[in-house]
Amino acid sequence: MRRVAVIGVGVTKFGLHDRTSAELFAEAAREALADAAVPASAVQALYYGNVVGGETEHQLHTGPQAASVLGIPSVPTTRFETACASSHAAFRHAVMEIAAGVSDVVLVGGAERVLNVSTAESTEYFAYASDAVWEQPLGLTFPGVFALIARAHMEKHGTTEAQMAAVAVKNHRHGVLNPKAQFQKPITVDQVLKSPYVADPLKLLDCCPFSDGGAAVVVASEEVARRHRRPVWVLASAAASDSMLLGDKRDLARVPATERAAAAAYRQAGLGPDDVDVVELHDCFTIAEIVATEGLGLFEPGAGGRAAEKGLTSLGGKIPVNPSGGLKAKGHPIGATGAAQIAEIVTQLRGEAGPRQVDGARTGLTHTLGGNTATVLVSLFGRD
Amino acid sequence: MTEPAITLRTFFERAHEGQLTAVRCGACGELAIPPKELCPACHAHEWQPVQLNGEGTIASFTVIRVAPRAHAASAPYALAVVKLKEGVSILGRVIDIPLDKLAIGLRVRFRPLVSADQTSVGFGPA
Repeated sequence: MRRVAVIGVGVTKFGLHDRTSAELFAEAAREALADAAVPASAVQALYYGNVVGGETEHQLHTGPQAASVLGIPSVPTTRFETACASSHAAFRHAVMEIAAGVSDVVLVGGAERVLNVSTAESTEYFAYASDAVWEQPLGLTFPGVFALIARAHMEKHGTTEAQMAAVAVKNHRHGVLNPKAQFQKPITVDQVLKSPYVADPLKLLDCCPFSDGGAAVVVASEEVARRHRRPVWVLASAAASDSMLLGDKRDLARVPATERAAAAAYRQAGLGPDDVDVVELHDCFTIAEIVATEGLGLFEPGAGGRAAEKGLTSLGGKIPVNPSGGLKAKGHPIGATGAAQIAEIVTQLRGEAGPRQVDGARTGLTHTLGGNTATVLVSLFGRD
Repeated sequence: MTEPAITLRTFFERAHEGQLTAVRCGACGELAIPPKELCPACHAHEWQPVQLNGEGTIASFTVIRVAPRAHAASAPYALAVVKLKEGVSILGRVIDIPLDKLAIGLRVRFRPLVSADQTSVGFGPA
C-alpha cells in the first residue's frame, strides 16, 4: 500500500449562513485546493459527506451537486452518509483509493445546512439516525441517546454533572482562540449547571449547537505530496460499527465502536495512546468527550470525567483535546465535521494553529462518531 | 426453516396484546430482542420465538424535554433501557411512573404503548 498525505485544508466559519450546503462546501474546497497548491483539474475523485440535505434542502444526489457548484462536474463523486461521521468515512475511502494506487489526488469534504429549519424539525431529522422501527417511535433524540449513556456513566463511575460541565467550559475556552468557531466566548461551570435540561442529565450547555458549515481536505499520494511544502502523513484510518439499538449495548457507559476503531488505528500506525500529542474528538455532548477519551485509551475507563475537571485535556494539559473548540464551541455541521477535525489536526501538525497551537505536536488523532454510536472513525496523522 | 420465526408485524401484534416476544437460537441458545435474521453470536438461522414475562429493571433512563415534532405534545416524557429478567435489554417509553421516581434498578413491567396507528414498547410500574 502507498503512503498517503493530506496536503490542503479548508473550512468555512461555522454558524448561521444564508448559503446552501453546496456553496459552503465549495468555499472550503476552493480554499483547500489553494492551500494544497494543486489545480482543480488535478482532482481525480470527490468523496463527500452530507446527512440531512434531503430534509432541509430538498436535495438528494448531493455529491455531484457539490461537485457541480464547485466547478468540477465531471469528477467521479460519491456521497457518504454515516450520520455525523460522514466526511470522516469519506476520508477513509479516499485514503484507501490513493493507498491502492487508483488515484493520486482526491478531494474530501462535507457540508450541512440546518439553521434554515426550526429546532423541532432539526431535532426530528437528526433522530432519523436512530432506528425507525424500534427507537424513533418512542421519541428518542440525539441528546436522549447520550443522556442514557451519561446516566449509566454517572452510576458506574461516579461521574458528576460538574465534571461534564468542565468539558463544555474547556471547549468554549478553546473556541475563543478559533476565528472559525460558532461560539467565541467563554462560559462558566455555573452557567452550564444552570442551563435548562434538554434530556436529563444533559443540559442545553452540555450540547453542541446546530450549525451550518463546510470543510474540505485534499488527500494525495506520496509522489504528489513530496512536492508540497508541508505534507501531513496519514498514519492510519480505521472504522468500526456497532448495533443500531441501545438495548443491544452490554454496557451503556462505554462506546465499543470507539474502542474497536481506536485499536485498529493504533495497530495500523504501530502507535499507542501515549504517542498522541493532540486530539480532535467527537464532543457532540460533554459526556461524549468523556467517554471518547476513555475509549481512545487516553484515560482509564471511568477516569475521563475527573481528567476533564483537572484540566488534563486543556491546551497546556497532559493531552490537549479539541483545541479547535470541538463540536461544542466550533460548531457541528454534521456532514462537515469529520473533514473539519482533520483540517484542525493538519493545521496543528504544521504548527500553523496560532494562539491555539499545541507546542511541538508531531502526532495527532481524529475521532468522529455517527449518531447513536453505531459508527466511529479514528485516524492518526504525523509529520516529517 | 424458511419462514421467519417472528416478523415485525407479528411482534407488534403480540405486543399490542401485552406479550413481549424474543427469539432464541436453536444452535447456540442466544436470546435476542428484537428478532434478527442471523444469530449475532453464532450466525445460525434457527430461531424459535420465546414469550418473555415482561418484568425487568431500569438500566438507564432520561427525561426528554426537547422532543422531535411528532412527540412535542407529550414532552416531557421518560425513556429507559430496561434489562429484562431473561437477560436481554430493550429501549422503551416509561408510562405511569412519576418522573421524579425514576431510578436505575427500578423494577418495571412491559406495557404496550398504543397510539392511533402503531404499537411500540412501553414499561409501566412492576
